[in-house]
Amino acid sequence: MRLMAVIDASVRMSGLEDLTMYRSTASIPFSGRYRLIDFALSNVVNSNINLVGVFPAYPFVSLLDHIGVGKSWDLNRRKDGLFFLPGSQKVGNYVSVGAFSMLGEHRSFFVKSRQEHVVITNCFTVAQLDFEEMLDVHLTSGKDITEAICEDGTHLKSYILSKKLLLELMESYEEKKVISIEDVVNRKKAPYTFNTYTHDGFVAVIDSTENYFRSAMSLLEAGQREKLYLKDRPIYTKVKDEPPTKHLKGSQVSQALIGNGCTIAGSVKKSIISRAVSIQEGARLENCIIMQKSKIGKNCELTCVIADKDVEIDDGVVLKGTWQQPIVLRKGERVTKEDVQ
Amino acid sequence: MKNKVVAMLLAGGQGSRLKSLTYNIAKPAIPFGGKYRIIDFPLSNCMNSEIHTVGVLTQYQPHVLHNYIGQGIPWDLDRRSGGVTMLTPYTEMGGLKWYDGTANAIYQNMHYLVEQDPEYVLILSGDHIYKMNYQTMLEFHKEQNADVTISVIEVPWKDTHRFGIMNTDDKLNVKEFVEKPENAESNLASMGVYIFNWQKLKKYLQLDNENENSSHDFGKNIIPLMLENNEKMVAYPYKGYWKDVGTVDSLWEANMDLLDETSGLNLHDPGWRIFSSNPQLPPQFIGEHGTVQDSLVNEGCVIEGEIEKSVIFQDVQVDEGASLKECVVMSGVKIGQGAQLQRVIIPPGLSIPENYQIPDQKEEIVLLTEEVLQNWRRGEGQ
Repeated sequence: MRLMAVIDASVRMSGLEDLTMYRSTASIPFSGRYRLIDFALSNVVNSNINLVGVFPAYPFVSLLDHIGVGKSWDLNRRKDGLFFLPGSQKVGNYVSVGAFSMLGEHRSFFVKSRQEHVVITNCFTVAQLDFEEMLDVHLTSGKDITEAICEDGTHLKSYILSKKLLLELMESYEEKKVISIEDVVNRKKAPYTFNTYTHDGFVAVIDSTENYFRSAMSLLEAGQREKLYLKDRPIYTKVKDEPPTKHLKGSQVSQALIGNGCTIAGSVKKSIISRAVSIQEGARLENCIIMQKSKIGKNCELTCVIADKDVEIDDGVVLKGTWQQPIVLRKGERVTKEDVQ
Repeated sequence: MKNKVVAMLLAGGQGSRLKSLTYNIAKPAIPFGGKYRIIDFPLSNCMNSEIHTVGVLTQYQPHVLHNYIGQGIPWDLDRRSGGVTMLTPYTEMGGLKWYDGTANAIYQNMHYLVEQDPEYVLILSGDHIYKMNYQTMLEFHKEQNADVTISVIEVPWKDTHRFGIMNTDDKLNVKEFVEKPENAESNLASMGVYIFNWQKLKKYLQLDNENENSSHDFGKNIIPLMLENNEKMVAYPYKGYWKDVGTVDSLWEANMDLLDETSGLNLHDPGWRIFSSNPQLPPQFIGEHGTVQDSLVNEGCVIEGEIEKSVIFQDVQVDEGASLKECVVMSGVKIGQGAQLQRVIIPPGLSIPENYQIPDQKEEIVLLTEEVLQNWRRGEGQ
């Protein structure tokens, strides 16, 4: 009850263009089942926060389709719940978290609320953040703004401050020459005081395709999944009614995360396969990320490939990327043998 | 509303031949197919057939079903008008009335039907696994100008003695209904799916209720009485997969049918999806040493062992060196290292000890229970 949340889904990462042609960073698929915003939304509800404003950037159809009225996160409430708060400026292109001009367009969302403190979080950080605990740390410190960081110093770009201070910054940011909450914290702007909250656990900050690839793949290493998928803090997402995945005779799967509704006849090693993907016989995948509803033809050979949603790869296609430079197939792309010769 | 259909889903059955699986839950709530409960099939059929008013009649161990169905959200039955209504036995001025027979269960909820005021009533059973378009059946019912239409399926002649058999003329008019005949004249078995014109059903439920000698059953009493009175009754021939999972063996078989592409039961058809509640679990993880062949595996599983020709529900953990063949493993089960199981149904939540094997198992299907495991542990300790 003390805390309300802002999810900044507007920040654009220039390194993620391959995956954000038709969507914002917030709705990039992750780990075979989720969208990046699921981690922020789940952190919010797992921290017992009932009021959350999502500030999206264009194009947000995919994001809106995903979160809807917030039912999957139990945020379809009569009192409080989820608010979708798009800005009037079509080309938001904010580069830092918590831009005051963006928040200021929905000042009434903050004025009308009863909560005293605000957590501002983002959609490019994958971690299990406990905002209740962070608030306690913040209040004990007596400082104005608390930022979540990792033990190694990585900035997680989630902030807690009082609503009063946030409203004051929304009023005066132009004369104070600051852009966003992230900006205020980075510049250690006087007269404010700053504190940090140290988070321990799985962390990925997704700011480039290469980084996305490495972070997603790291979940296949021993001991990593257990740090992100906690029994008492589930990651919630929009559910689809897919049947269990079918592993056909002759298929081979090892060290792989696999969503529901897939049909697997080929071989899959060290890969992440989203829901409803079909992998036909003789196909061999290693170090790949295949997103939902993609089709991998017979006897394909794919190494270090990211195939976005609805990609179709014809029989016999061979694609070999590297860890440093995975091959990215964009949403809906079709690849034939002729294309790669 | 003209042409309004209300489905009455009979879900009060115990299913005692399913042994420990139904000690605490009614048969329609039994887990099936790696993700579902049996009742998901008729409920999803309703949803896919655009029938939006469903009364679910419960009696035996109803709490799991009530909790599961709730407002009917997974089947889009949370509606302003119609939607799902759970109908349990209740007390009234005359005393407490348990449902006594299938027809009596409907009779006792007459007020619900009167309030809904449908034109047609679709009677369904919550015990059967099949995919069926009830709208197509309703079209047939209307075309035939029938008072009641009964869905039938051709069963092997050798099995006719296990079913309610419909004898029809060549225009599919039902001439006779015989319950479990020794020498059947037809192999058309009733699937327990009926469409009644509501006014006719109302009349016969009242007549049947007045008959003290009646066992208040659709098959045994209502249908014969309507035939006697020359009401127009037609058989609707259904082609496709249909199974009554009444025993441990048939439950196991139905699960194995999902792995057989020729069985006709396909869960992977996006055109006729089976809806169910979806727990929020991470994707399944197949480990470095895990192997999975010819199987269905649901979300949240962590597979480090060997799995062949099995159906694995959500959140199952199979440790390294364990091997499962032709098994049905329900949600939350843990299989310890080195355990070897074949032709076994493992109910939800059981924890199989390391190196466990079923002693003296022949070809039969074994339904594991906590007691069996405890006895084994005791034996191991000696």
